[in-house]
Amino acid sequence: MNRRTFLKIAGLGSVSFAAGCSPESPKYLYSLVQAPEDMVTGKATWYASTCRECPAGCGVLAKNREGRVIKLEGNPLHPVNRGRLCMRGQAALQAVYNPDRLKTPLVKDKDGFRPIGFAEARALLKAKAWQAAGRGADRVRLLTEVAGESQMELFRAALKNWNSRGPVVFEPFAYEALKTANREVFGVDGLVSYRMDEADVLVSFGAEFLETWLSPVEYAWKFKAMHAVRGGEKGLFLLVSPYQGLTGSNADHWLACAPGSEAVVALGLVRRMLAAGGGMHLPAAFREALAKASADYAPETVSKLSGLPPAACEKLAGRLEQARRPLVLGAGCGLGDDNGLKTNLAANLLNLILDPQLTRIDTRNRHRVEAADRRSDVLDLFLTLKGGGCDLLILNNVNPVFSLPAESGARAALSTHNLFVVSLCSFIDETSQQADLILPVSLPLETWGEYGGWSSIVSTLQPAMGRLSDAPHLGDVILEAGFENDRPAPDFKTYVATRLHRTDRVRDELQWLEMMQHGGVFSATGPPASPQPNLLGRLPQALAMPYEPPPAGVAFTAAPSVRFFDGRGANRPWLCEIPEPVSRVAWQSPVWAHPDTARANGFDQADMLRITTRAGSLEAPAYVTEVVRPGLLVMGIGQGHTSYGRYAQPAGVTPRAEFSPTDSVELPFLTYVPPDSANPFAILPAIVDPACGGPSFNAFDVRIERTGRTVKIAKTDGSRTQHGRTFLLTVTLDDLRKAQPPPKTGLTMGDFPLTLPLPEGYNPQRDFYPAHEHDLYRWGMVVDLDRCIGCGACAAACYAENNIGVVGELRTIQGRKMPWMEIVRYHDERRLERVMFQPMLCQHCDNAPCESVCPVYAPHHSAEGLNNQIYNRCIGTRFCSQNCPYKVRRFNWFTWELPEPLNLQLNPDVTVRSKGVMEKCSFCIQRIKEARTRAKNENRPIREGEVTPACVQTCPTYALVFGNLMDKDSRVRRLCNDPRAYQAMGYLNTKPAVIYLKKVLHEV
Amino acid sequence: MTDLTCAQIDRTVLNTLERPRPRYWVFVALLFCGVLLGAGAWTYQIFVGIGVGGQNIPVAWGTYLINFVFWVGIAHSGTLISAILHLFRAGWRNPIARAAETMTVFAVCCAGLFPFIHLGRVWQVYFMLPIPNQRLLWPNFLSPLMFDVVAISTYLTVSSLFWYTGLLPDLAVVRDRSTGLRHKIFRLLSLGWTGAHHHWLNYSRGYLFFAALATPLVISVHSVVSWDFALGVVPGWHTTIFAPYFVAGAIHSGLAMVLTLMIPLRRIFRYDAIITVNVLENVAKTMILTGLIVGLAYGTEYFIAWYSHNAVEWESFRWRAMGEYAYGLYFMIMCNVLIPSLFLIKAVRRSVPWLFVISLAVNFGMWWERFVIIVGGVAHDYPPHAWGLYAPRLVEYCIMVGSFSLFFFLFLLFCKHLPSVSMTEMKETAPHAG
Repeated sequence: MNRRTFLKIAGLGSVSFAAGCSPESPKYLYSLVQAPEDMVTGKATWYASTCRECPAGCGVLAKNREGRVIKLEGNPLHPVNRGRLCMRGQAALQAVYNPDRLKTPLVKDKDGFRPIGFAEARALLKAKAWQAAGRGADRVRLLTEVAGESQMELFRAALKNWNSRGPVVFEPFAYEALKTANREVFGVDGLVSYRMDEADVLVSFGAEFLETWLSPVEYAWKFKAMHAVRGGEKGLFLLVSPYQGLTGSNADHWLACAPGSEAVVALGLVRRMLAAGGGMHLPAAFREALAKASADYAPETVSKLSGLPPAACEKLAGRLEQARRPLVLGAGCGLGDDNGLKTNLAANLLNLILDPQLTRIDTRNRHRVEAADRRSDVLDLFLTLKGGGCDLLILNNVNPVFSLPAESGARAALSTHNLFVVSLCSFIDETSQQADLILPVSLPLETWGEYGGWSSIVSTLQPAMGRLSDAPHLGDVILEAGFENDRPAPDFKTYVATRLHRTDRVRDELQWLEMMQHGGVFSATGPPASPQPNLLGRLPQALAMPYEPPPAGVAFTAAPSVRFFDGRGANRPWLCEIPEPVSRVAWQSPVWAHPDTARANGFDQADMLRITTRAGSLEAPAYVTEVVRPGLLVMGIGQGHTSYGRYAQPAGVTPRAEFSPTDSVELPFLTYVPPDSANPFAILPAIVDPACGGPSFNAFDVRIERTGRTVKIAKTDGSRTQHGRTFLLTVTLDDLRKAQPPPKTGLTMGDFPLTLPLPEGYNPQRDFYPAHEHDLYRWGMVVDLDRCIGCGACAAACYAENNIGVVGELRTIQGRKMPWMEIVRYHDERRLERVMFQPMLCQHCDNAPCESVCPVYAPHHSAEGLNNQIYNRCIGTRFCSQNCPYKVRRFNWFTWELPEPLNLQLNPDVTVRSKGVMEKCSFCIQRIKEARTRAKNENRPIREGEVTPACVQTCPTYALVFGNLMDKDSRVRRLCNDPRAYQAMGYLNTKPAVIYLKKVLHEV
Repeated sequence: MTDLTCAQIDRTVLNTLERPRPRYWVFVALLFCGVLLGAGAWTYQIFVGIGVGGQNIPVAWGTYLINFVFWVGIAHSGTLISAILHLFRAGWRNPIARAAETMTVFAVCCAGLFPFIHLGRVWQVYFMLPIPNQRLLWPNFLSPLMFDVVAISTYLTVSSLFWYTGLLPDLAVVRDRSTGLRHKIFRLLSLGWTGAHHHWLNYSRGYLFFAALATPLVISVHSVVSWDFALGVVPGWHTTIFAPYFVAGAIHSGLAMVLTLMIPLRRIFRYDAIITVNVLENVAKTMILTGLIVGLAYGTEYFIAWYSHNAVEWESFRWRAMGEYAYGLYFMIMCNVLIPSLFLIKAVRRSVPWLFVISLAVNFGMWWERFVIIVGGVAHDYPPHAWGLYAPRLVEYCIMVGSFSLFFFLFLLFCKHLPSVSMTEMKETAPHAG
């Protein structure tokens, strides 16, 4: 096949897909007489692409059924995410099918926005650009998110044509402090990656690497590669931070330092390591200067400034010293201030002192997000705009009005007189609202392109589906607008291909095709390279400066969110619906506060607080929790939108997104008028650190006032502790190493033996009915709690795969949530600040309490041991849920509505349930059936690993294993023999087919 | 043992069937509006979804099943009074037997509606019928809900037939004393009763057999209803004492409802000579017994929860007394055990106002007992991560009002259109009949 044929087929495919995406629901079914080559009705086609939900750049495979993408899965060939995705990646589809997505460009006139045609809009952009270019230098500016190298090159070329300087790359999380520290210590002006999987002791000063930091899926698998128990060994993860987010919850030990004092602890460690004779390989002058700079951080000072008990600091230092392969991570993305810079410098220096070769620092696979400009440059741009120094501003998928502090004046700058603002965005967000022209461009899943999350790889994008609107590709828009006769390529796809050819990434068309099939070129990932320390003989300036403790009083931190990233995920219903992992609050972003803080300030859970910083104030409900240090308020970033479609919560507490039919009978106390803002970005100071140019997501000395109102928190947990029950079991590493006790034989909760849901699990003394017989298969799942990080990717995958209804905030409060797979969070009863996670799904019991009580046999025990729910049969008595000891059954209280075109995402293999029927996890029976059909056609049994439920497929840490319990050699069956294996509340003799492996506690 | 003559009995009872005053129709109309309100709320729920109520996960059963159990409980005393006490030849039950039996039939009707109202897809309810069908599907007779279907329908059939059988001679009396349309209707209803010897012979045999047949049902129906809970694994439900506990509770609430109905009836219809204070006192005495049984059951539950050393069970009962619904527990102990024990004082159990007030308290307390069991059990079930609370919502309140309205609506129609005291049985106890 030559390139022309390929293009023809691709074009034909696109057209047919587009035709298949008709928004009207079809009344008749027709089969295609001549289908495109790669489309078979009922059979999925997979397209490799790259996830662009955050700058990490994970590889995805998009599952296309009958012309539309219905599911995203990680690309197993992709080295960044190794086939796994986070919940934001799973929810990327909901941008494509978002009902609030713009279908036409909008141009602003005096009456507001008016729709215009795409051709007209593109012509307008082009005219404006050339007009501005004619007026002088730098009259056109472009503010973009981190984009692929080809895209950036095209931007630069176009801007050059427009007589203007290159684009400014804006990311709210731009790692200024980390980049500066890397430059100062490693001589790398960028973002190195970490070979965390090889470490044995990991110390983090707040880097939220499981949520948003650099590349969360990558660090999730790397983290568990070092931290999961293996052969009685387990890495250690120590966290120094004033609060525990999702990443912090996974730490073995949390050192709750005072807000703003991470640097003190880090420098204390530097002092101690130097004193202990570390860092002898450092240049003598440097070592001396460092010793001098860190001399102030004696243990007593560290304890005093950080509020940590000396014993804790001692323990931290001791563990780090004893480590054979230590790795120290710096501060989180929100610490771009002096403290953050010092912390990152100290962390890098600690790595250098502890590991002279820097073997766990990788400069080969640098993170693409390093392309982001520093916050200071972004603020400079807005100053330029305000000063009238520019005529046309093009915004590519950025939302500075939302994600910059209100003080920064971004909103005002956009409405500068004579400035024409073009937003290339598919949604009317806060920034687009200020634009003069909104020109929606196609989303990454509909686009050709290239985006390498690591500097060493090429990762490609290709249209995985037909287009839902006439929105052009971004690259094509720029090619058309930025070039007259010198257009470098007819379209952006050719542009990308030519560029990759030019840079020797692709040799020929065959390789291009291969690359498209694989999702990129990953072979270039050779042996990782470690940086050469570049210490310039002098101490980084920031370290020479004395530490200044932050102002006293209550501090406020805006924490990056695993659900919404910087807020761009806030309009995806799944992300709103899936609760925040640590607080288990869905749809809302309450402010976390320690019980002591609550007591001192006289507020309680669910009280509406007004929090005022120097830069502004917001209102949010209080969530009292022990995972925050006293004297600190933490609020998740992402919500508090004033404009981003129907799902983006304005204040995080308003019952606005209604999914179900109008239900006039609402409780009056739930109607609540939102305050102007509940966006934590908005109340941060707009200052940047002079040394690194980074912002701080902290505000100090904030004022807390009670508004006198309370709201209903949409929390999805019941009790925070498990009251001594055997749901989530733990074992200490020491106990695990000891000889295992003999198998249990009793009948009580703590003494009941592991009883497999197999004929051998039958015991005449306990069982009334004989065992179920299975021919070949008895499906089961093993959940390794030691591997589960609680990220919720499985839950999102389950929503996507199984057409689960999204119920909205109000109904979450009423207890009508629908997840088939949810991550249960328990606080340790003895140490409330210790948080543990447990995936909870239908246990597919052999002796299922739900089955016997249904009057109509709607829960049905299949020959393969599955507990099937037959929707057509269900009459809605709900007895099964009442009798389920795991409460994993979900009831359709209403027919949940999917505003068009969200319905196009529905998986055609799974029934959409209507009101009045019970539903629950099916172990993705549609995938089992698909594998069985395949096996039957090939006249063989289903192979081990052939069936992968959606949750198992996406789990970044391989915590879930699915397979056939009847096969004695299957992985699930072998894991059942693990000494950690147990069944949740097994003493009820339900014989669950979900076997949990105890979480291993690494006591420090 | 009445001192009235047969003629006085006939006159007193038939006087109640005189043309009612307008005020009666106002009450009937009001209650009918209540019924319409309930029906409207149900219709709305069918169209929008069961979610208009307050049920959720974990508390998937709410007021609908509470009311179901409540009405089934009310339905118990009628049969107890008319059948068991008949077999025991307890003459004092004769004046109240008819009304109590009517109460039973109407209460079963109300109760029977609730499983339908409660269903998520009521339009598919025929899936529960064991009819051969081309889908080759069959109901699951292991499910306690299927036991319910059988038990309740049997009970409704038997108690309606029993009621109608007892009504026959009285219907003939009304037929004989009426003219016009009423005569025609009652001629049809009385099935050609002439009072012939063989009629009386068959009648009294039939009545006795029905009494014998209905007696085990009194025990079985509420036992079966209790198994809806006792056969579940839920802590607080899964106990063996549930059947006797529920039966005693049912009779307790039924007797209270008998008092609630009889006392106004007695006053309005001037039945003082027929429904004497002695009769009411006997009901109260029975309630002392049932109240004590119920109290014993409450105590036993707590004792076993402690004695079992089962942490889940104990936590569930601890929470019942200390948790969010603790007031429900205190309502039920107060109203079902402590307040009825006032009947131990003779002056109280012979004082009509006291009897009336206490009967209302017991009705209230028994409703809360069902709330505590049905909601409290699952609200604090095995998984602490899924603990949750429940509060009824407007639609549920409307349906609850509708069900009470339906009950009193039917009862009001009954007492002006059918003899509310069994003339036949009263005459059996009249002095000359001795």
